[in-house]
Amino acid sequence: MITHHPSDELLAAFTQGELTASLSIAVAAHNELCPVCQEKVEKLNAQHAQMLFDTDNETVDEASNDIQEVELSWMSMIDDITDDDSQSLLVPIDIKSVQLSYDKVQLPRALSNVSLKKWSKLGDVSRARLELEEEPIRSSLLDISPGGVVPLHTHKGFELTLLLDGSFEDDMGTYHAGDFIWLDKSHTHSPRTTDGCLCYAVLDDAMEFKEGFSKLFNPIGSFLY
Amino acid sequence: MINSPHTVQGLDTHGNTNTMKDAQITQQLQQWLIAVANNRDKRAFAQLFSWFAPKILRYGVSHLNSSANAQELLQDTMTNVWKKAHYFNADKGAVTTWVYTIMRNASFDMLRKMQTQREEMLSDDIWPLVEAQTAQEGEYTDHLMQKEMKRYLSLLPDAQQQVIKGVYFQHLSQEELATQLGIPVGTVKSRLRLALSKLKQKMGGKL
Repeated sequence: MITHHPSDELLAAFTQGELTASLSIAVAAHNELCPVCQEKVEKLNAQHAQMLFDTDNETVDEASNDIQEVELSWMSMIDDITDDDSQSLLVPIDIKSVQLSYDKVQLPRALSNVSLKKWSKLGDVSRARLELEEEPIRSSLLDISPGGVVPLHTHKGFELTLLLDGSFEDDMGTYHAGDFIWLDKSHTHSPRTTDGCLCYAVLDDAMEFKEGFSKLFNPIGSFLY
Repeated sequence: MINSPHTVQGLDTHGNTNTMKDAQITQQLQQWLIAVANNRDKRAFAQLFSWFAPKILRYGVSHLNSSANAQELLQDTMTNVWKKAHYFNADKGAVTTWVYTIMRNASFDMLRKMQTQREEMLSDDIWPLVEAQTAQEGEYTDHLMQKEMKRYLSLLPDAQQQVIKGVYFQHLSQEELATQLGIPVGTVKSRLRLALSKLKQKMGGKL
C-alpha cells in the first residue's frame, strides 16, 4: 500500500514538463505503481491542454494581415510532413531487469532508455548512477542488501527516494514499493531493510553523516551522492 | 487552401455559450484527426495544422526561447500528429489533450538536448503516448528469436514494419491490411516483399 505521494505542486510541474529528467523519471516511475497519482496527472494534462489551446484567449484581430504570409510557410511544412505516408509503429519497450544483492528486479518503464554507470559498493549499499548529466542533481539506483543499514545522516539539499522494490524503515516509519519520500535538511534518518530493497534516489547535494565511523565520509561527501 | 483558424465552420459565431462552442470545437478536431488516422486525409491534416500551429508556436517561443526552436517544435509536433494519429483514442481524452502531450514531450526532449548535449529521447518513456505493449508478448514461442526479430524489424522503415506486423503478428490478410491502412493491396504486397527480403538479408538467412 503506497502512503507517500508526490505533492500536487510536483505533479503539476511534472505534467508541464518543468521538472528535470531525474525528477520526471521519479514521478513517472511512482505513477507506474500508483493509479491515484496517474489519474491526477491525466486530469492535469487535460486542464493544461485546455488552458493552452483555449480559443477564447484569442481575439479575431489576431488573425491579422500577416496570416497569409505565415500560411505560405505552413503550406510547405504541411506538404513536407504529409509527403511521407507511413504511420509510425510502436517499437516494443525493452523493460530492463537488474540483478541485485537479494533478487532480480524489473526496472520501471521510465528507466528503459537511461544508461546506468557501473555499480559500486560501499558498506551495505551498492549504487549505480544514472547518466543524465544534470549536475548538481544526481540520481542513482541503490541496492541495499538484506539486513543493511544506511548510517544516520541528514541532507544538505533535498533527497528524493522512490522505493522501487522491497521495503525499508527509518525513524519516521515503514515504506513499501511505490512510496515517494521527499526529505531535506530538517530530516535526519537511518534507513534499514530486513529483506533488501531497491531505491531510486535523487539528490542535489551531499548527505551529511551524523555519527561514528561514517562521519569520516563527510569530507568526501560530494563523491557519495 | 487552408482556412484561417477563425473561419472554420461554426467557430465564428459569437452568440454561443462557451460550452457549446467548446463542444463544437472538440468534435470538429476529432473528426479531422480521425480522418487523418483512417484516410490519411491531407486536407483534414491541414485544418488541424492551422488550428494548432499558432498555439504551438506561442508555446514554443515561451518555452524554447527562439522562434527557430518554436518552428522546430511545430514541425516535430505536427509530424507526430500525422504519423501517430491512428493511436489516438477518443475514450481516453480530447484531441487537444493528445496534441498537448505530444507537444510537451517534443519540447522536453528539445530542451534536454539543448542543455545536456545528450541525444536520448526520454519523454516517451516518462509520458507514454500509448499503454505499454507488453501484452503483445507471448505471440512468439521462442524468446530469443523474438528479441532478435524485434531488433531487426525496428531497423526497417516504418511503412515496411507496419505490413510485416499486420500480416505476421496480427494475422491480417493482405486485403484486410490494405483496407485498414487505406492503401492499395498491390502496395501492401510490394512493401511486404521488400521488407521480407531486407529482413532475410539482415538475419543472414535465418528466416
